[in-house]
Amino acid sequence: MWVVENGIEMTKQISIPPERHWFSRLQRITRHGDSPWQAIIIVMAVLVMVLMLAIGWMLWRESADARAAFGWGFLTPSLDTSWDPVNDKFEAWPFIYGTLLTALTAIVLAIPISLGVAIFMSELCPDWLRMPLNWLVELLAAIPSVVYGLWGIFVFLPLVVTPVGGALFETLGKVPMLNVLFTGPIPPSGASRLGAAFILTIMIIPTITAVTRDVLLSIPSSQREAALALGATQWETIWQVLLPYGLSGILGAVILGLGRALGETMAVTMVIGNSIEGSPSLLRPGYTMASVIANEFAEAVTKLHTQALIEIGLVLFFMTLLLNMVARLLVWRVARRTPQEARA
Amino acid sequence: MTRVVRPVFFVLVALSFLLAACGGTPATPVTVVETQVVEKVVTATPDASMPELPAGSVQINGAGATFPLPVYTEWTYAYSYVDPAVVINYQGIGSGGGKKAIVDGTVDFAGSDSLLKDEEYTSGKDLQMYPMLAGAVVVIYNFTPAKEYPADFKAPKLILDRQTLVDIYNAKVTKWNDPAIVALNPDLADYLPAETITAVHRSDGSGTTEIFTKALTAFSADWTAGGASSIEWPVDKAGNGVGGKGNAGVAASVINTPNSLGYVELSYAVSNNLAFADLINKAGQKVTANADSVASAMNDFSGAFSDKLTATIVDGEGAGSYPIVGYTYIILHTTSMTDCVKAEKLLQFLQWALTDPSATSRAGALGYSVLPDAVREQVFAKFGEVTCNGAPVLK
Repeated sequence: MWVVENGIEMTKQISIPPERHWFSRLQRITRHGDSPWQAIIIVMAVLVMVLMLAIGWMLWRESADARAAFGWGFLTPSLDTSWDPVNDKFEAWPFIYGTLLTALTAIVLAIPISLGVAIFMSELCPDWLRMPLNWLVELLAAIPSVVYGLWGIFVFLPLVVTPVGGALFETLGKVPMLNVLFTGPIPPSGASRLGAAFILTIMIIPTITAVTRDVLLSIPSSQREAALALGATQWETIWQVLLPYGLSGILGAVILGLGRALGETMAVTMVIGNSIEGSPSLLRPGYTMASVIANEFAEAVTKLHTQALIEIGLVLFFMTLLLNMVARLLVWRVARRTPQEARA
Repeated sequence: MTRVVRPVFFVLVALSFLLAACGGTPATPVTVVETQVVEKVVTATPDASMPELPAGSVQINGAGATFPLPVYTEWTYAYSYVDPAVVINYQGIGSGGGKKAIVDGTVDFAGSDSLLKDEEYTSGKDLQMYPMLAGAVVVIYNFTPAKEYPADFKAPKLILDRQTLVDIYNAKVTKWNDPAIVALNPDLADYLPAETITAVHRSDGSGTTEIFTKALTAFSADWTAGGASSIEWPVDKAGNGVGGKGNAGVAASVINTPNSLGYVELSYAVSNNLAFADLINKAGQKVTANADSVASAMNDFSGAFSDKLTATIVDGEGAGSYPIVGYTYIILHTTSMTDCVKAEKLLQFLQWALTDPSATSRAGALGYSVLPDAVREQVFAKFGEVTCNGAPVLK
């Protein structure tokens, strides 16, 4: 083609015919696939955002009349609320309260259990047990929630929740301050917020356990060896080195679990009793936001009823979003703080 | 680890395919109908003047109430043998969804347990409801006797009257040994416990609840919570109420909760052998829910249809009428259907379902009541008014 006689003249001599010019440019773009690849990835990322916005926008738009009709009173905490499709009078507090109470109780119960299982599996477990245990935890996560619900109704509620609830009523129900949460009596069938919280606990344990175990396993052995070499016991190594090191990951696991607990519908609907009675107690039947939508949406015939249910969906949507943001913030702060503390 | 997991996984998958292949052979329960139907192709023989259509060429879509879903499923399956050209899909998405779908025109027919509202008639323009079946709602109960039954004692069925039922769900009658219940059940007087009654209701919006609460509304002015597919239960507010999801959820709650009662569809109670209470009806007679007492209730109200062919049939006057009964309806567009072949096929199917002996006996076996002649004549008269592009669909 063109000959370079001396290095200085080189740029001057380059001349490509125009038709060849665009083709080679295209070739250059597609040769390594970088640009198309990037474009596809961006589309995917944008898709998630668009989906999120679309869902939020739909919930907002479809609940317009309900929001106009009830205003903030829809969300006001109160023990005497009504959810009356016959007279079109709707207040969501019992559902919000039920969702928060059951999900938070479940998280509180699940964290120590899952951490224990995860620590056992990553640090203490004999090799022959590790694999079966691993499988069992993953199987637990794979059980459909309706099966949890059925098992809950027929086995778990009468055999476990009713006696435990009765015992809590006899003990914590007598303690001032705490007795608000433990006024009973628990219904003989066991259908109660406590039952829902227990079922949720069982359902989120595998999620938190699996992620926590992976986090612990990914901690470099040098950390363990260093702690042990300094004379720390195994317990001190786990508690003072490994857990702080993996804290942000573990918090992430807890957020995943909380997300599942907030949104879980079927199993909760089957065991919570679905009643909006005014008691704030864990031992009484309650209702959650996801349950009421699942229960009533298909047969909601008046416009306001449908809209009120969609507004509950909107509240749930924002609540999950908010909790996620708070949790993200927490992870971020913890992640910034850990290295110093882990070293200390 | 993956080295071990993967082969095991493949083995599992292979096994499940094997199982699926073995499981494919047993016949579905519906095949019984198939044989009955094939003999009786009498009533809805496709019009001879019409050219034979290829199998599966007419697709009819319906959606709506779940209450009649078991019957509609069997009917549509059986009808594919009567008229192979027709394929009917019915999706149980709930009455509310069904009504929305027919108003929007996304289905050819809708099933609904509740009535259309005026605004829906306005936006749907030419909608018409047709009763298809009736169902009864029964009260199931579970109480622990206060003392053991003697060996030779066969516990009689519980008897409730209309006012007592209202009082129980209003949490006014709260104990099993309340004088009102004892007076109705002299034989059980010694055994009714001094325990609180837990009243179970449906937690999901449902036609069953609508029938039950409409009946309570008719029974007594004390019932102020209204009649609808989901309501605010006074008994919940009093702390004695529990909601169960679906008939199964209510039944499970009643079975697992000592000293409780609840309401389920008759068809569900029959197919699950649940004991249910007899009721004292408006005429003061003790009635058991069954096909006869439901038919009697339908006959009580056969002259009470509105021009949209709807009627509330709770609390009938007849001596043999069971008081908690309701219709389930089909909703059609009467003048705006444009596919005349489809319209004709759809009406033929509905006529077949209401008249063919195998179809009606199948509905009866599932615990639903078919329309008595007096009602069916009115439904058929309304079918005759359906037009397509201005011409009547049924010649």
